Amino acid sequence: MPWWTDKFSFAVAVLFYGISMVYSVFLWRKGFRQDNRVNYFMLLAAAIFHTTAMFQRGFSLDRCPVNNLFEATMFVTWTMVVAYLVFGIWSRLRFLGAFASPILFAIGVFALMPSLDVRGAKPEFSGGLVSLHATLILLSYGAFGLSSIAGIMYVTQEHDLKFHKLRAVFSRLPPIERLEKVMNWLLVAGFILLTLGLTLSPFLLKQKFHVYFNSDPKLIWSIVVWVIYLVLLLMHGRFGQGGRRFAWGAIGSFAFVLLTFWGVNLLSPAHQ
Amino acid sequence: MPIVVIGLSHRSSPVTVRERFAFAETVIPDALKKIREKGLADEAVILSTCNRVEIYAATQRNEREVSQALQQFLLDHQNYSEPLNGEIYRLGEPQSLEHLFKVASGLDSMVLGETEILGQLKKAYDLALKHQHTGSRLNKAFQRAFNVAKQIRTDTNIQRGSVSVGSVAVELAEKIFNSLSDRQVMVIGAGETSEKTARALLSRGAHSIIVSNRSHERAVALAAELSGRAVHFDNWADEFPKIDIVISSTAAPHYVLDRAILEPLMKLRKNRSLLLIDIAVPRDIEPEVNFLENVYLYNIDDLQAIADNYLKQRREEIEGCERIIREKVKSLLQLSKSANAPVHDGQLAFE
Repeated sequence: MPWWTDKFSFAVAVLFYGISMVYSVFLWRKGFRQDNRVNYFMLLAAAIFHTTAMFQRGFSLDRCPVNNLFEATMFVTWTMVVAYLVFGIWSRLRFLGAFASPILFAIGVFALMPSLDVRGAKPEFSGGLVSLHATLILLSYGAFGLSSIAGIMYVTQEHDLKFHKLRAVFSRLPPIERLEKVMNWLLVAGFILLTLGLTLSPFLLKQKFHVYFNSDPKLIWSIVVWVIYLVLLLMHGRFGQGGRRFAWGAIGSFAFVLLTFWGVNLLSPAHQ
Repeated sequence: MPIVVIGLSHRSSPVTVRERFAFAETVIPDALKKIREKGLADEAVILSTCNRVEIYAATQRNEREVSQALQQFLLDHQNYSEPLNGEIYRLGEPQSLEHLFKVASGLDSMVLGETEILGQLKKAYDLALKHQHTGSRLNKAFQRAFNVAKQIRTDTNIQRGSVSVGSVAVELAEKIFNSLSDRQVMVIGAGETSEKTARALLSRGAHSIIVSNRSHERAVALAAELSGRAVHFDNWADEFPKIDIVISSTAAPHYVLDRAILEPLMKLRKNRSLLLIDIAVPRDIEPEVNFLENVYLYNIDDLQAIADNYLKQRREEIEGCERIIREKVKSLLQLSKSANAPVHDGQLAFE
């Protein structure tokens, strides 16, 4: 079927994210009062099409599909949805999907913009190091993304508890402490992946530019992101800055990544 | 053989009347024996709780006559000679069965949907069964009532949510803390509601209780009851770094805990979440503390509002529950009719 391309599969996945987003509005209006699997299955369907798109693109390139902004964005959202599907096994965390779907839909629509999917010559196989570097870093962004979604859920629930909204007790959202733990796990996992991914950078620079470090904007930006998450984790782990501040930290840090990622990529000669 | 119910409950009479009719558990077998010996009923069960006293009886005699005779028995047995003004109700089939099913399901309880009554009803039935005062008619009716109560609990939201201050406090704690098993609770002021709230938290796994009261003896006594520890009232703040939940109900005319006191204490606690339950009137905790990060303050009105809303939700479920009950009563009556039908040739009766 020639019309069944990777882009088509991804568009179907984005469509499911959109339906899930609309359904999430109903869940929100109903106050998350009853356990709901519909949204989970919608996101599962989306994940199946999303994974199909990744495989189709990967097989067409014979390598991990992380070579342009479309592929990178597709990879980050895939990580987020797969991580959600794992957490969603626990009923209390299933409502994370209602908070995730608007973000997945928005990023998915953005990724479908034709200008992001620049397909040049088939990339050379460089021993897998580039793929590993990109994969580790994009996986880390996926983990950061889902932690920011848990953060949004946290601030919603915390606001309801603080201001005595009935939804705080009537809803089946998880306790805020559990959400804080989930945020922490995801941030730690993301930070480890980012650290491993960045550790490979000097070797790649040596391979391509014969230097271990240069002032490539993406490299500088990645170090800034690494420092932001390091500070966030240290403030939480060592200085007791938990709760709402931690949640806002996770949301704000990922918003920074999300808003600057594409721009920095365009400025980076090493990542073109 | 129809089933009749006579009795009085919180709906028909005040506690001053109900307490006059209450049966001690030890006298119930004897009362049941008398009912049967006098020929008032073939089978009987007496339910006596703080909210109701009821006699369920199965008889082959005329329902109206039997219920009047049972009422007279009740008055004589409890030596009640004052004039009645509708305090005692008498129900024949099918209302008697509907009533039994409603009682079992908590629909006739003072706290709508509560489950304690089901246990009390089972106990009353077991007592009558043990002394052989029940037969196939009441056995079937009571077994069906227990099944209906189970179905209503599963299929409707009649028992969902907390309708008492103590259980709302527990629910709030479960919305904040991942688990209550490693949480320490402090009770400041050893009042009845704070004791109930502390007990509710303990029953859901709270780690331990610290009690502080102006009267240290009272604190020691309550701490002993709750398997906790008492601290002197002047020293309660010293325990704060370890505390996760505070229940305050002192009789102090001023705030016991205000922002100026709590702010430095929160730093000692490394800003861990803190749930403050203020059930005192006048209030013990300054409302301003709710603006501190990771502090969640609820006063008695906040808790009551949540409980009232749950009750409202439960009331919305009544119609659905009554529909289930009507269907079950209908099927039970049809079953009884077919069991009582004459046995035709070739048909076997197993009863």
